[in-house]
Parts: sequence; structure tokens; C-alpha cells
Amino acid sequence: MGARTLRLALLMLPLLAAAVTPRPARAAETPDASAPDASAPAAAETPAAAETPAAAPVVAAPVVAAPVDIEVERVRPAKTKRPTLTFLKENRAFIRARFDLLRQRPGTGSAEAQDFDPRFLGYGDMLARTLAAKDSTAAAEDAWRRRQLLASITELGDLEARLEAMERLLAEQRGRLGVLQADFTGRQETALMVLASGWPGDAVALSAITIVLEDGDTLTVALTPEQRESLRQGGMVQIAHTFVEPREQMVEVTLAGAAWPAGDAAFLTLEPARDRLTMLRLDLSPVRSGRGAAEIRASTWLHQAGIDPTDG
Amino acid sequence: MIDIGRLRIALHGLHAGAARAALPLLTALCALGAEPAVAREAAPFPARAGLELAREAALSWSTDARLIYVENDEPLDPSGASERWGYLFHSPALDRLRGYSVRDGKIVIAENLEMKLEAPPVAMEWIDSGAALAAAEREVEDFREKHAETRLATMLLMRGPFLEKDPDETTWTLVYTAAGAPPLFVVVEATGGRVRRTWRG
Repeated sequence: MGARTLRLALLMLPLLAAAVTPRPARAAETPDASAPDASAPAAAETPAAAETPAAAPVVAAPVVAAPVDIEVERVRPAKTKRPTLTFLKENRAFIRARFDLLRQRPGTGSAEAQDFDPRFLGYGDMLARTLAAKDSTAAAEDAWRRRQLLASITELGDLEARLEAMERLLAEQRGRLGVLQADFTGRQETALMVLASGWPGDAVALSAITIVLEDGDTLTVALTPEQRESLRQGGMVQIAHTFVEPREQMVEVTLAGAAWPAGDAAFLTLEPARDRLTMLRLDLSPVRSGRGAAEIRASTWLHQAGIDPTDG
Repeated sequence: MIDIGRLRIALHGLHAGAARAALPLLTALCALGAEPAVAREAAPFPARAGLELAREAALSWSTDARLIYVENDEPLDPSGASERWGYLFHSPALDRLRGYSVRDGKIVIAENLEMKLEAPPVAMEWIDSGAALAAAEREVEDFREKHAETRLATMLLMRGPFLEKDPDETTWTLVYTAAGAPPLFVVVEATGGRVRRTWRG
């Protein structure tokens, strides 16, 4: 028994050595585009990959996003709890008290109205007339100056300069509109699209799929007969398309149906890439009613298509 | 450093008996001081560097999210940088608060704060934590001379509560602590970098 254990431990040594060896840079893991690999999209997205020195300037080929399998877990994975905003939490009463000092409070003095002296209203009228007279004087002076300027030949050069300035302003405005167009027509915000495909092998009556995001957003999609038939025929159904936070997060998937155990859920962890559309595919074909939702095969990839902001 | 993930995958592919045999060896390796990969140190960064990521997450939470508070979540270094910063947003539409803690270019915590805090949004323009610290340090010399173990415990950015005479001003508040002495608060104007107020307590 002892010798057998020792032999097995010796067999394990090369594997342990491989595990303790530092991992190569992620750029080195970028696979051949022709050979789909689980690490392909992740490596393509890393700055390290972008910084890989090239032997000669070449035109970058479009990266093919191969799906990456995600581990589907039966039990909700535990998360490390770290403290955040500690000072605020510990001193919330103090800070709220400081804000209270800034709030308006009703005064204790009398707010009874007094008779208004009619002369004060007259002062307002006088002030308005004074301002009107001032405006008239300014307008007359302005007109006189304009005539003087037009009379001068140098004014023409000035006008030309103003026209140029206006053109420049228009060009800048065009640039700003271009930025807005790029932001609102071409820029992909961080989003997640969940797709379902396949049909449970033992033909259980799957009636709905519920997706719960980590921030508590819940989306239940009841499958219509057409959608069920589509899944049976090998089609794909969109379950959700929503903006998500660009961070590692857990998604809970629950299946519902006549032969389904209540509360049967699967948990998977994914990290939607910032400003990109992350696709999550739930393959239901390995699912059997006796084994539960954790049998779902999940994979993810980044949506590559986008709108060219320079187009149109 | 041991890559626990790869090791686990390697162990998965083996016979259960072999895996059991390897476990004491793995335990011994870990006991020799090998650290799990997740515990590695991250590069400290100034407060502004994590803001855009946090803001993007906040806008996906609520489109009217407004930044109301920033605080260091890990100790500060002498340049006013921290490994982790916390950003708190308020959504008037939802009437809720949500905080994000950013470390190493990633959001490591996102949580709703179940508390009431009627804080106004901070100004769009504010000096970074390094500049605020540089401005405050000049006011701390006396405190440092009296207390040898003075350390900068907290930096927080807010609008309103620490400058009653000018409540619309967004300010950095730096909290210095020393053993056996009440903390020193230094309030720095976050738009101009001028020290506006100091107090002990």
C-alpha cells in the first residue's frame, strides 16, 4: 500500500512541476486563428496581446471569436468578501449630521407681510427706463462704429478673418457631431446577450428559462410552442439582451417545466468585456430531468461585428 | 508561484487514487510559503484612473447615476495612490446607492449600500488624489513633528459636508492618524488644490 502510494506520488511530480512553473504571457497563448481554442477571445482582448512585437508591419487580420466553455456549477460559488468604503460606513452618522447642517430649516421669526411703499415700484420703472436709454445709446454708437468700419478698406480683411473663424467653428462642430455619431451609432456598450440552443435529451416539457444577474435583475422567458419547436429543430432562441456591469459576475440559470424539480438552478461565472457585447450560449441538449440544470453546457464569446463610425 | 487552476485541471484528469496521493505533496508545497495567485499585489493607482470603469458600470445600473463619493479602499502610498479605490454613485430615479471597488483595472466589488445619504454629485472637474495629497502635506508638518507615527489613513472626495461656508465646493478630505492623538482632518479644494480647512477631532 505504502509503495503504491509513493509510486503514484512520483507519477504526479511532473504534473506538479508543470503547475508551479510560471505561466507564459497571455500573448504567447494566442492561438492560430485556424485552430479554435478556448483561450482565443480572451487572449485577443488583452493589452499584452496587442503589444506583442511584430517582425514586420502587417495588416491585422480580423480575429475570429471562438466560443469559450464556461464551468456550470450546481452550487452558488462563494465570493471573497472585501471591505469597501469603510470610512463612509463607519462614520455615516457623522457625515449625515454634517449634511443636516446644510439643510434649510424653518426660522422662528415672524414672516408677516408689511405694506409695500409704492415709491419702490416707481424706482423699478425708473431703472428700466434708464437701462432702455442706455441700450438705445449703445445701439446708436454701435451703428456709428459699424459705418466707420465699413468705410475703411481694412474692414474687409477683418470680415474675411471672421468668415474664416466661422468656417473653423463649423468644422469643429462637424467634428463634435462626428464624435456623437461614433458614440451613439458605432460604440458598443457593455452588454450581455443570452441565447439558448438544443433541447433536453429526454424530451422533458421545458416551459421557461429564468436568468438572474448578480445585481438582482431577474428575467423569466416563457418558451412559446414555436420556440420549443425551434430548439428541437436545432435553432437558437434569444433569452436576454441587457446592459451589464463590466466585471466578473455570476449568472444564475433556472429551468422550469412540468417534470422539473422546483428551484433547480445552475450557476456560472463570466466577465463581460468592457464596451463589448458578450454572447452567452446555453446548450440545453445535455440536460436530463433527473440531473438538473447544472448539466447545461455553457459557452461565451465576444460579438465582433460593429458599425463603422466613418460610414455615412 | 503555484497556479492552483492549472493544478486542479491536472488533478481532474487523473485517477482519484493518484490525486489523493498527490494531496499531501501539494499541502507541503503550499505550507512552504507558496501564495495563491489571487492574493498577489496590484499596482497602486490614483483615484481618477478607476473612475471611468466605475462610471460605466454605474450607468449600466442606472442611466442617471451620479458620482457622489470616492474613498481609498486600501492603504495609500506616499504619492496618493492606492491599490483599490471605492466609488459611490447615487441614482435619483431609483433613490439608491451603489458602490464599486476598482483594483487592477477591474471591478472587484459591486454592491448596493442600504443607507440614506443625501449627498450632491461631486463636480465634473477635480484634482487627482496625488495633487490633493501634495497640497495637504504642507499643512501636516507640525502634526508629524509632534507625532512620529503619523500616517495618512483615508482620502475621501465629497461635495458639501466638510466646508459649511462653501457647501457647493467639492473637496478632498484627508484623515491623518497617530497613536494616542485625535486624527487630523485636512480639507483641500478639489478644483483649485488649496487647503481650505484643518481640524483635529
